[in-house]
Amino acid sequence: MDNLKEIIDALIFISVEPLTAEKMKEVLTDVPEPDIAQALQELVARYESADGAIRIIQTAGGYVFSTKPAYDPYVRRLLQIERKKKLSSQALETLSAVAYHQPVTQSEISAIRSVDSTYALHTLLENKLIKIVGRKDAPGRPLLYRTTEKFLAYFGLNAIEDLPSEEELIKLMQEENS
Amino acid sequence: MIATETDPAPTPSPEDGYQVKLQVFEGPLDLLLFLIKKKKIDINDIPIAVITREYLDYLSRKERINLDREAEFLLMAALLIYIKSQMLLPREQPLEPDIDPRKELVDRLADFQKIKAASTLLREKEDAMSQVWKRTVLTAPLPEEDLDLIEVSLFDLAESFFTLMKRKQSENPRVIKGKEISMADKMNEIVAVLKARGVLDFLEYLDAQGTLEEALISFFCLLELIKARLIIAIQEQLFHTIKVWPRKDAAPA
Repeated sequence: MDNLKEIIDALIFISVEPLTAEKMKEVLTDVPEPDIAQALQELVARYESADGAIRIIQTAGGYVFSTKPAYDPYVRRLLQIERKKKLSSQALETLSAVAYHQPVTQSEISAIRSVDSTYALHTLLENKLIKIVGRKDAPGRPLLYRTTEKFLAYFGLNAIEDLPSEEELIKLMQEENS
Repeated sequence: MIATETDPAPTPSPEDGYQVKLQVFEGPLDLLLFLIKKKKIDINDIPIAVITREYLDYLSRKERINLDREAEFLLMAALLIYIKSQMLLPREQPLEPDIDPRKELVDRLADFQKIKAASTLLREKEDAMSQVWKRTVLTAPLPEEDLDLIEVSLFDLAESFFTLMKRKQSENPRVIKGKEISMADKMNEIVAVLKARGVLDFLEYLDAQGTLEEALISFFCLLELIKARLIIAIQEQLFHTIKVWPRKDAAPA
């Protein structure tokens, strides 16, 4: 197909939620998979190298249009947002602990941080960055938490495997210590 | 809250009032890590006496401690002193060399250090993403934003359910068959139906269940799903039937 790139372009354009490769395959049934992957890659590269303000980012398991960082001030002016809200350091630390230890209970998180984390977990739940996935088979049957798709999207991660690796963490700790 | 010595509070100037920005220790492990770094101590060979003295020194400056967290900071102090006592105690049989009383604390510190590093890296990613905008701002409104829709209470749901139960009972007075249905299966079924149809009439769905038991289970499943905020139950108008929608903002299960 000559215009495969443009077709994918159109599909991503009308998708507000990240469009997964599976969905593309469903639409393009008669196109071999490697061709789709190839076209997708070229399309992403085309937007990346072009002068435009738009790019395609891979996030939360799919592809979605986003603005390039340079246009952030103008978008914020349009939306009348002073600046995007950031997570508090408490919430961020709690979220990291959940991300690296999931599925995990409130008391486990509190032990890892040595600080009661009930409130921080509540905030994260409200923001849908974590979710309840069940109960642990332990005394009191405490709730188990996991990170959500929104968590991935929030940090621009494609999958949970894209979290900073053990090596990256150790490297950072050594830099801080030296 | 406890301030670090490396980051002293700036003298408040009259125009910005008494807004003082301090580096805050989130918890005892945070403070311990700071002290270990400050003293350039090897985390695997912590001189407990030195670190305990430093730690208590910080705690004694009450004005720098968040009293809400004081218990947690004191707990750590108790642990440090306990570890020291374990190391000092004369024993009939000397401790095996590979059982170090400090080991558990060291493991916790190492794990916490990793979480701190992860937080730093995630903060960088958050910063980068905060300058990137997606089109999600322009999503279609939820059905609940329509004016006449009322999110129903548990009592409304229960009342509907009992009405249905009465009707069922008169229809089918015999003993129910013992077919086992799990809540998990039923929940999956409800979610699947919602996915396919988009909306579900609460009473109609319960009515369509084969047995009383199945209807009961369906009802509990609906309650669970509402509780988990995966679906939303709405009554379009007073005395109308209750309908169930999947929550658009629900985190995908």
